[in-house]
Amino acid sequence: MIKRTLGMLAVLVILLGLPALVAAQSGLPEPGALGAQNLRGYTHMFIAYFIAWAVILGWIISIARRLAQVQKALEE
Amino acid sequence: MSGKVRWFGVVLGLLGLAAVLVLHWQVFFWVSTERTMGVVQRIFYIHVPAAWVGFMAFGIVAVCSAVYLWLKDERADMAAVAAAEGGMLFTAIVLLTGPLWAKVAWGIWWEWDLRLTLTLLLFFIYLGYFLVRRSTENLEKGKRFAAVVGIVGALDIPLIHLSVKWFRSIHPEPVVMNPDGPTLPGDMLATLFTGLAAFTFLFFSFFLFRYGLERTRHALAHRRTGRGGEALSEGMAS
Repeated sequence: MIKRTLGMLAVLVILLGLPALVAAQSGLPEPGALGAQNLRGYTHMFIAYFIAWAVILGWIISIARRLAQVQKALEE
Repeated sequence: MSGKVRWFGVVLGLLGLAAVLVLHWQVFFWVSTERTMGVVQRIFYIHVPAAWVGFMAFGIVAVCSAVYLWLKDERADMAAVAAAEGGMLFTAIVLLTGPLWAKVAWGIWWEWDLRLTLTLLLFFIYLGYFLVRRSTENLEKGKRFAAVVGIVGALDIPLIHLSVKWFRSIHPEPVVMNPDGPTLPGDMLATLFTGLAAFTFLFFSFFLFRYGLERTRHALAHRRTGRGGEALSEGMAS
């Protein structure tokens, strides 16, 4: 009798606890998601640095080309 | 472009390049990783210096524009144009690197937050500065209108700085220029200062070359119209 009651109680706890267990698990990130998040951080950082230096380099080239054109025109 | 200006520009450029090399070593090998945001926070070391240089450049535009309106000195207008172009470029870097950081840190590329919106507005005001210059057939009138835009546009800078204090904002509050002093750890602060030095040296180097370009253009225009081109050329050579 006691064994049967304990068994039913155990089944009841498992049945009631299972949704909570599933809900708690669903809050966790997918396997590899943390790695992907980290990788995205690296990607965004490298793109940001690339853009910054590309913009600055573009400005240098633009100034140099315009300066050369104007000085050539001035010499003619 | 005079030899002295060119030499000074090259020296500043080399100092900037040296600071850039140190900055990259600090960013990628030395500075500690921020605990909450991770590696993406390292965008901070170019994002903030670019903003600082952009604001400084627009400050120069405002001062030079005021001098131009007051004294009618063409050199002030040329300096304003050179600074405005640099300011727009560095503001573009701020507006491009910010969303890359925000996507990882906030989960969104852009938010119509007051600081972000005012920074975008600043960019468009100085885009307007160049459009206004070319909007009239009378060049002098265009320069005067642009000078007014250059002065009014700079009023946006204190608003950008104070917007995060006055209004609720998703953007973090200043971590260096606040009344209680810098709140950053020492290594992050040192890296930020290297970034500030690098961008400032580079800006002034390119500013000198851009100013030289404007003076050469001016000399060419005067030579073509036959209005004292020789005098200007002599002035440039000195």
